[in-house]
Amino acid sequence: MRLVRAYGRAMWDARLILAYTLLVSLSLFILAPFLMIALRSVGKGWFGRLWLPPQLTLDWYRWAVEVGNIPEVMKNTLIIGVIAVAVSTVIGIFAGWAFGRRQMPGKEVLMAIILLPRMIPPITYALGVAQIFYTLELVDTYLGVALAHVSVCAPYAILVLSATFEGLDERVLEAAGVCGANTVKRFFYVVLPLIMPGILASMIFSFTHSYNEFTLTLLTYGPHTVTLPVRTYLAVGDGYWEITSAMAMLMVVPSLLILAVIQRRAKPEKLVGGFKGV
Amino acid sequence: MIGFWRTHSSTLITLFLLLPALAGFFGLFFYPMLLTVILSFRPEGQAVGWTLENYTRFLADPDGRWVILLTFILSLGSTALSVLLSVPLALILREKVRGHRFYRLMVLVPLVVPGLIGALGLLLFWGTRGWFNLFLLQFVPFVQRPVAVNYTMHGLIMFYVWLYFPYTCITTLSSLESLDRSIEEAGEVSGATRWQVLRHIVLPLITPGILAGSVLTFMAAFGAFSVPLIAGGNYRPLAVEVYKQISVPIPARWSAAGAIAIVMGALQVIFLSLYMRFVRRGGSPQ
Repeated sequence: MRLVRAYGRAMWDARLILAYTLLVSLSLFILAPFLMIALRSVGKGWFGRLWLPPQLTLDWYRWAVEVGNIPEVMKNTLIIGVIAVAVSTVIGIFAGWAFGRRQMPGKEVLMAIILLPRMIPPITYALGVAQIFYTLELVDTYLGVALAHVSVCAPYAILVLSATFEGLDERVLEAAGVCGANTVKRFFYVVLPLIMPGILASMIFSFTHSYNEFTLTLLTYGPHTVTLPVRTYLAVGDGYWEITSAMAMLMVVPSLLILAVIQRRAKPEKLVGGFKGV
Repeated sequence: MIGFWRTHSSTLITLFLLLPALAGFFGLFFYPMLLTVILSFRPEGQAVGWTLENYTRFLADPDGRWVILLTFILSLGSTALSVLLSVPLALILREKVRGHRFYRLMVLVPLVVPGLIGALGLLLFWGTRGWFNLFLLQFVPFVQRPVAVNYTMHGLIMFYVWLYFPYTCITTLSSLESLDRSIEEAGEVSGATRWQVLRHIVLPLITPGILAGSVLTFMAAFGAFSVPLIAGGNYRPLAVEVYKQISVPIPARWSAAGAIAIVMGALQVIFLSLYMRFVRRGGSPQ
């Protein structure tokens, strides 16, 4: 028992060292894969037991752009992302207003039902979505792939926006009314600035989900709608690790931009979707 | 007509507001689910007739049962490890140590980066030619040959942890930060040691947060598809097995895929409802 206590005290005395060891090894654990991708994408003739590539080259990037068709793929991904974000934001604003600000019977149950897609593995309904889209000839169209993404993005948008609208204080609106603002003015000068951060957060999260969505894309894509995750998967299958790494480097840049925005503007808890609807 | 509008306008507006969400829900989730269910009961490749064969074939096959077991091993193993990693991490990050903004950013990275790119980097780092094995071979005595991490079960569990621990960590951290510090101070004033404060005050209070976060990690790990697809090797969990049915054989076996997918969805829902029940009964503070 005394030994345990002495051990505990020693650990407590070394707490700073222990904490930083954990933090630094975590950062290494998280960042090392990206470092390897970055090195692999510029290395040439990197075989055997070498820590760093012996020669540097940008050839793989040229290959990625020319053969891998990255600009085209990037364009597809952005177009699909924008459509998916637009549709899910509209859904989110309407439904979020209803859930956040209006009385209705069975609100909790309805919310749980609408959030149900988050509880089911996407591959389950992706099979059905693919079947429907084949009959409707939506496969390999921007709209089709984007709509498939909406089934993942919309629940998050509804969750974030209903919380935003719920937090809108009725008294502020009344105060604006008392001060002589009419409905239109109230909307543009009071409501909009208050809900804008929430809408932006919902758009960023929807875009992140669409940008990273793989399962639903894989079952609805075609030669004209290859997105970045699908392109990575196909490249891994081809087995040219250097070119794949170069592609991955090009793809990771937008993600890091999004990360910077999230860090500044939004609460990360919202990114994981909270647990209200689970 | 106008009278009807007067009495029911509020309900109608609510309905109108919910319309896009309901359309999306039925068109993109409910109807596809229904189609998958129907498909799973059809004989392979036919649009008529009913059969249980797709289910019996998958569930009677020892390989099929191994796939189910494997999926649970992978998802439960990575969830447990995520909790073990997240709780100390959240306790440290709460203290606003130097550079805590950077470390918080680190936790977010796996959430934002496409999973496939993460998996690619992990394969490169932990591979036989990667830095991990290079380090072992050059600096650790008695290691003569590279240690296999890629395409093994423990490697796959570690990859899952890399990808999905942020759910647990962020939720734990946010519930820790909403904790009132004065409660802990009250404990210390009353003569409790730091360990006792942690064990009997802090941990019970953040348990709901930890459990809620671990549910998110579990769901992500159970449904994981992209990572085991490229980094799983011979270890194919349910989601990959579903995809194999429609991508490998010609013609594609949609009904078999549907049956496996329904088994997968049902297992997840059953497991989650049991888990939530456990959480409500035992996990929440009194």
